[in-house]
Amino acid sequence: MTGFARRFLSRPTALLGFAVFAAIVVIALAAPFLFARGPFAIVGMPLLPPGSPGLPAGSDVLGRNMMIALAYGARVSLLVGISATLCSTLVGILLGALAGYYGGLVDDLLMRVTEFFQIIPAFVLLMVLVAFLQPSLTSAIIGIALITWPNVARVVRAEFLSLRSREFVEAARTLGMRDTRIILTQILPNALPPIVVVSSMMVGNAILAESALSFLGLGDPNLLSWGSMIGGARSAMWVAWWTTTLPGLSIMITVLALNFVGDGLNDALNPRRSR
Amino acid sequence: MKLHYIAMRLVKTVLVAIAVVLLSFFMIRLAPGDVATVMAGQSGYADEAYMKSLRAEYGLDQPVPVQLWKYVSAVAHGDLGTSYVRSQPVLTIIMERLPNTLLLDAFALVVAAVGGIWLGGIAARRPGSAIDNATTVLAMFFYSVPQFWLGMMMMLVFAVWLGWLPPFGIETMGADYTGLARMGDVAVHILLPGTTLAFYFMASYARLTRTAMIEVADQDFVKTARAKGIPERQVARRHILRNALIPLITFAGLQASILVGGNVLVENVFSWPGVGTLAYEAVDSRDNPLLLGIFIVTAILVSLFNLVTDIAYSIADPRVELGK
Amino acid sequence: MPLVSIQGLTVALPPGADRDKAVDDVSLDVGRNEIVCIVGESGSGKSLTAHAIMGLLPRGVTAAGGRILFDGVDLLKETPRALRKRRGRDIAMIFQDPMAALNPVVNIGRQVTEQIRAHRAISEAEALKQAGALLGEMGLKDVPSLLKAYPHQLSGGQRQRVMIAMALSLSPQLLIADEPTTALDVTTQAQILKLIKRIQAEREMSVLLITHDFGVVADMADKVAVMRHGRVLESGVVGEVLGNPSHAYTRALIAAVPRGESQLPPPPDVRPLVEVSGLTKRFRRGGLFSRGAVNTAVDNVSLTLSRGETLGIVGESGSGKSTLARCVIRLLDPDAGEILLDGADIAHMKPGELRPLRRRIQMVFQDPFSSLNPRQTVGDIITIGPRIYGEDPKDARARAVDILRLVGLNPETMNRLPHEFSGGQRQRIGLARALMLRPDVLIADEPVSALDVTVQAQVLQLLDDVRRQMNLAMLFITHDMRVAAQVCHRVMVMRHGKVVETGVTRDIFANPSSEYTRALVAAIPGRQTR
Repeated sequence: MTGFARRFLSRPTALLGFAVFAAIVVIALAAPFLFARGPFAIVGMPLLPPGSPGLPAGSDVLGRNMMIALAYGARVSLLVGISATLCSTLVGILLGALAGYYGGLVDDLLMRVTEFFQIIPAFVLLMVLVAFLQPSLTSAIIGIALITWPNVARVVRAEFLSLRSREFVEAARTLGMRDTRIILTQILPNALPPIVVVSSMMVGNAILAESALSFLGLGDPNLLSWGSMIGGARSAMWVAWWTTTLPGLSIMITVLALNFVGDGLNDALNPRRSR
Repeated sequence: MKLHYIAMRLVKTVLVAIAVVLLSFFMIRLAPGDVATVMAGQSGYADEAYMKSLRAEYGLDQPVPVQLWKYVSAVAHGDLGTSYVRSQPVLTIIMERLPNTLLLDAFALVVAAVGGIWLGGIAARRPGSAIDNATTVLAMFFYSVPQFWLGMMMMLVFAVWLGWLPPFGIETMGADYTGLARMGDVAVHILLPGTTLAFYFMASYARLTRTAMIEVADQDFVKTARAKGIPERQVARRHILRNALIPLITFAGLQASILVGGNVLVENVFSWPGVGTLAYEAVDSRDNPLLLGIFIVTAILVSLFNLVTDIAYSIADPRVELGK
Repeated sequence: MPLVSIQGLTVALPPGADRDKAVDDVSLDVGRNEIVCIVGESGSGKSLTAHAIMGLLPRGVTAAGGRILFDGVDLLKETPRALRKRRGRDIAMIFQDPMAALNPVVNIGRQVTEQIRAHRAISEAEALKQAGALLGEMGLKDVPSLLKAYPHQLSGGQRQRVMIAMALSLSPQLLIADEPTTALDVTTQAQILKLIKRIQAEREMSVLLITHDFGVVADMADKVAVMRHGRVLESGVVGEVLGNPSHAYTRALIAAVPRGESQLPPPPDVRPLVEVSGLTKRFRRGGLFSRGAVNTAVDNVSLTLSRGETLGIVGESGSGKSTLARCVIRLLDPDAGEILLDGADIAHMKPGELRPLRRRIQMVFQDPFSSLNPRQTVGDIITIGPRIYGEDPKDARARAVDILRLVGLNPETMNRLPHEFSGGQRQRIGLARALMLRPDVLIADEPVSALDVTVQAQVLQLLDDVRRQMNLAMLFITHDMRVAAQVCHRVMVMRHGKVVETGVTRDIFANPSSEYTRALVAAIPGRQTR
């Protein structure tokens, strides 16, 4: 594991991504303590440019403090991104492991289902799902998890399929080890690296999906998120660039940081596969 | 033998279509309240008798399997229901907008494939070089930026600040161009939404081409080709690129489903009168039948496109034989 | 003047590799109209020497010194363009794995004509005619359809013949063959070697053959060079080097090659411990939506195995020998037949019933790199078995010390991870893992096929010692008749899932009763000459 840490930290982009992501997490956690009045409070004139007194990031169309809104927006993005990824990773590991290890009918079914999810327009399905369930934080998380779990399941299945026929797993079976123990102690530890990489990148994709939903007005109406800030400021874009630019940059920086982390993990976990 | 493969793929496409319809039916039942309450709410009055007549009209008083059967057979006949808001058949509305979307997508896919394969090819030539690293960073950037926001920024720069390109729509309103002039007008309008849409896929193509070419270049048959004394250019084209492009065909099919999501966002930003903008309008006016119709139509189109790419794949790769 | 004269060649590895030089001051001549073999184990630099002649060293690997004179011209000083023109025309090369060496998406005809047309200005039709003639000369049948076929539609032997045809298409003066038969089945191997020898004689060309197998050297070479760690240890006329090796390493290598003649006595005549009868295993291809073909991998096979006896199961790839082994140890569920272990039929036992019996049959696997969990220490790997059966971890560890000594490993290695060990050591660890359960039956599935010759000999010796000491019944799966002859009391020959014949090893070798076994025995490299 020390070799892993060294390889990860030796990549400047990975280190940078990790630091930026950590900072965003801190901001998200600290937002309610720093800005107790919440993001919806009107603090001044609308559309004041960044740098106005007390408004380092300016004010939006309704005269709300953009900086506070950005900090609270991080909470929504991270909450949705991380919870959706956790759900879909757990489901994906469970189903992928069963299909990859046992094969047969379970596997056939899972493969057809994941193929189906690969083919259908996932984002439209997400829109339909959230619209029918009524827009809320929960429906966004459920919807995003629903359209992303097949990606995890495919990766896990492929890993299990290849590891299952490795001779050390066969050896474990000839020793008389039970299937659950084989899956947990022999296969899963070896299958974890790609799962970790996929999951770290999925958090970023989930954040993008949430922002798109909110942008289209399918976000939680009671929460302010980066996507809904951009959506709400579309009419002001021509006169007040910061109202759309800053939340967009926030999304980009967060997702970029996560992708850098994922890339770094990928190289650190598969030293041979890089380049 | 390929025929067998193609037949299997056709069956699969039909199954996907059936699954999409089943999923849609499930979705309708998932929504809180039934169509009647939604429609009644929509129309403003909700007395019991009206609700009952609505339920009878939509067959909601019948058992679920009967409803399912009716729904499936209606969809199979092209009846996707009626839009709440426009009181027009959903399919008619969608078909009106579809050509614009297909035009935008075709433009984006061609730009993405040509640009991406070219960039990826250059990057693969010299792994670790400045161009290679730049491609990787650029790809990472396009993966991380929200597509709708990228579109807005492009608009801000090229339409608002620089004033080079028109910011909205598919053609100049009121200009009433015809013939070539009209095509030119559309071509100018397609540039911003088209490239915005293409960027993400270009990044994917560049990365995939790069990986595939580096992988193929390491294989023994490339060594054989060199041992045969074939000129390096021919080695690169016939042996490396030819093999590296095969996975890209499948990839193009898989990208199609993501492309539709991009349509919704990018068309909406640039007011491109396509199916994507229509989806946004449906969401905005809570027009659920229309939204569902869009889902069904796009899903079936995407699976047909996948069918085409799979057949193309089976032709490009002689190893595809019996249905696999 | 020899055709090729390598003088003081040094090949440098990129910085960060495990050593700086892969080839170190190597000098070697290949005369006209002769076959020269370079023989050595993995890492000896034999293959890189060959690649250096072609100017096809891998990225980052460079020829750092010396000269390679071809017809008096130093190839290392030639421009890339001149060298490119020589490749395929003056010097041709064939590789180990013909499947990987042929482009999978270009048809055979095109791959041959491509080479001809790269060097000669002739039409595609003309080139295709020449290609057809060449394929015919290589003993390939149905040439017109072969020209249109793709590599995956051919057998391994056909592919290598195509490779050879391609190499000969411009009548090069030198053919370099880098382990040309290693990836092929035994009988095909013999045919390909015969083909190379025939065309060499007919065309009076020079051949540089890279091999790890002294049997091949004895059959093929006029001259031989023995390489180790990037250096040539000795070279000379083949009879001299084989008959009177001057270097200790050469002697060890030659001694390590199994003789191909059985030395073991006939098996002890006792009641069998394992009785397999009518065992059948089928595989269905395809999934939910396709019927798929049924492949009978093991077809009605019966055998018996007694304590203290080694039964060899010999066959080429696709013979079903590995599937049979995996059925006997119940890694696969047989479709029909019975497997009696001490009279109890384990062929159709449920997992729960079977589990307590599993310890009695253990296995040593083929691939030393995938047979050990890379994330567990050696100690964990070998004590996990006993712990499953409830043995106290402390006792198991104490016993592991003895077992590790028994298989020739230092017990202090227990806390290390598998990647710190060599291939031969890993096979010893795998054996230790199996022995920890005090099995009655040991199945060895190609246990030495991934190892170098010298290591191979040590592991075979170890397996035989252990079998004797622990009075094991051993089922030994191999594709190599020579190996079978060395360790097996009896041999069962399999082909296409069926048993061809079974008998005492000596009898099988001395007078095989079937055509196929005869072919297998005849295909053993180095047999005629010794």
